[in-house]
Amino acid sequence: MIRVAAVGDIHMGPDSQGTLRPAFETLPECADVLLLAGDLTRHGTPEEARVVAREIKDLAVPVVAVLGNHDHHDDHPEEVTAILRDAGAHVLEGQAAVVTRDGARIGVAGTKGFGGGFVGRCAGEFGEPIMKEFVRYSRRRADGLLAALQQLDEWNCDVRIALTHFAPVPDTLAGEPPEIYPFLGSYLLAEAIDTACPDLAVHGHAHAGTEHGMTSGGVRVRNVAQPVIGQAFHVYNLPGREPAAPA
Amino acid sequence: MTDRDAHRPPDPPAAENLDYRVAHLAERIAAGPLGELGVRLVPHGDSVLLTGTVPSTECRDEILGLAREVLAGHPVHCDILVAGTSSPDHGEDLT
Repeated sequence: MIRVAAVGDIHMGPDSQGTLRPAFETLPECADVLLLAGDLTRHGTPEEARVVAREIKDLAVPVVAVLGNHDHHDDHPEEVTAILRDAGAHVLEGQAAVVTRDGARIGVAGTKGFGGGFVGRCAGEFGEPIMKEFVRYSRRRADGLLAALQQLDEWNCDVRIALTHFAPVPDTLAGEPPEIYPFLGSYLLAEAIDTACPDLAVHGHAHAGTEHGMTSGGVRVRNVAQPVIGQAFHVYNLPGREPAAPA
Repeated sequence: MTDRDAHRPPDPPAAENLDYRVAHLAERIAAGPLGELGVRLVPHGDSVLLTGTVPSTECRDEILGLAREVLAGHPVHCDILVAGTSSPDHGEDLT
């Protein structure tokens, strides 16, 4: 069994230093990896990123993260990424990483993702340039996720996980006003996920949403926004790959 | 204009309209130092209810203080929660 801890939307600022560290230090007892599903800071400033970095530095489990829209607000996502990487985290945008713990190979493909909405209620690539760019940007994020998931296929992983900030399905948005769903996620992410069929998809962003959902292709989706799970993280136990039968 | 319209009191200026004041306050909370998009401000008649979850008690107190200042004259009720930071005592089995 592979134990995946995850949380998103921790929105850390200078006044939150130390609030999550005590819980994160219990991770080695209950999890093999910690996933951070974006919105780790409030404004994406380097100062806030250093608060997050100190919360995760030298944890005894590997940490894999994506950024969220808040982490882009100050227009320094590269600097935020660099600070988190210096603290030992894998920070993914259209990329994949494999981390190992006790011999298990845990593959994670990540992107921030973006909005656009869900089938039948979504924005189209039509009209004004800014509208077309909105949808194209979302499509590029989803394409990056698919490429990263396909990369994991070649890396002999025991489990594969899709990690995003924006939601791939509307199920996990239940509780949010339906009018804002197009700003909370995109079916393009779910289409990428269902093309590659990972074992689990994890996202954040929807604070008033619901934890449990599933893509139309049957991939389990979990909204781990901290306001949704109400704790420092949740843990999902995934069956590892069956060992090959002896010849 | 009808006779009836002539005797009707004038509509309040848009700036005093509670809906718009609430909308501008939500923008201010999002764009300001708190960067908080997770709080909903819901007018209920003459009063406003704040809901959502924020990272700290300081955030909650700051938002409530700002709301009471900006929405002076309207009762402001606060149901904002502070995010939990405990470890879970079990995991979910996904089989």
